[in-house]
Amino acid sequence: MSGHVVVNGREQPVGRGETLAALLERLGVGARYALVERNGEPVERARYAEVRLEDGDSLVVARPVAGG
Amino acid sequence: MNTHDPLVIAGREFRSRLLTGTGKYDTFETMREALAASGSQIVTVAVRRIDFDAPGEDITAFLPEDVLLLPNTSGCETAEEAVRSARLARAGGLPDWVKLEVIPDPRYLLPDPVETLRAAAQLVEEDFTVLPYVLPDPVLQKKLEEVGCATVMPLAAPIGSGRGLKLRDAIRIMVEQAEVPLVVDAGLGAPSHAAEAMEMGADAVLVNTAIARAGDPVAMARAFRLAVEAGREAHRAGIMEEGSDAAASSPVAGAIHGA
Repeated sequence: MSGHVVVNGREQPVGRGETLAALLERLGVGARYALVERNGEPVERARYAEVRLEDGDSLVVARPVAGG
Repeated sequence: MNTHDPLVIAGREFRSRLLTGTGKYDTFETMREALAASGSQIVTVAVRRIDFDAPGEDITAFLPEDVLLLPNTSGCETAEEAVRSARLARAGGLPDWVKLEVIPDPRYLLPDPVETLRAAAQLVEEDFTVLPYVLPDPVLQKKLEEVGCATVMPLAAPIGSGRGLKLRDAIRIMVEQAEVPLVVDAGLGAPSHAAEAMEMGADAVLVNTAIARAGDPVAMARAFRLAVEAGREAHRAGIMEEGSDAAASSPVAGAIHGA
């Protein structure tokens, strides 16, 4: 079953069984650090390749930026 | 004097006592050069959602590999938001060190002491190394130390104001009673301000705007490095006591005058 997830407030289609790592790749997030929260819970970096997205998931995708 | 004088935070040794921020540089190339010139080994970053319409450059490609990245919780107005931000950063692979800032006030950008203490206690409980940014308050300092913070970081003057040690009397008390490193963070505008903080006995300073917005940020980064080193060495050397009367530096007897 494919479906949609919400990434930073915007809908994104996801394929059946698509992993978080695959979605990040597709979104062009190749940064050294991509920081992800899924349905309000932080996701460990080591699990990006195994977390399979589900229809209706809500994701926050962040990264380090310039700051003091 | 023993030249081995590391800054020790949470059991980790650093040669440099100048922490730097990465904000407000015109370009990441200038930032990279300035960070190198500063000699900093601890460098702050913020954490923000990616704007997929305009992602911009990845700052981490411009940061030296051998520095400790210190994610901050800027933008957080409550303890809950700060804890959430820190958890997100750590889960994603950033260090488990956090510059804790909880700032609900957009005008003066002053930190909320109650929320900061609450967040600090929670984050220490979750095994973060917590470096809280606070108003200079010696009572709050003790409470932050009691809950297990790795440093306490009082502001010298409002963030980005460059006004120097406006709150020096309170900071002096904090220096006297510090049990974990005291880092003067925010408001330092010139290397002389940093030197003054170090002469007073601060363990380190954190500088961002004063370097990033200088006419020549790379040269200013070097100037801050030298000022921090000079201030630290002066503190360790023992600064003379002030006197109210003049005291001649040369012998009084045998002066060449008269017959």
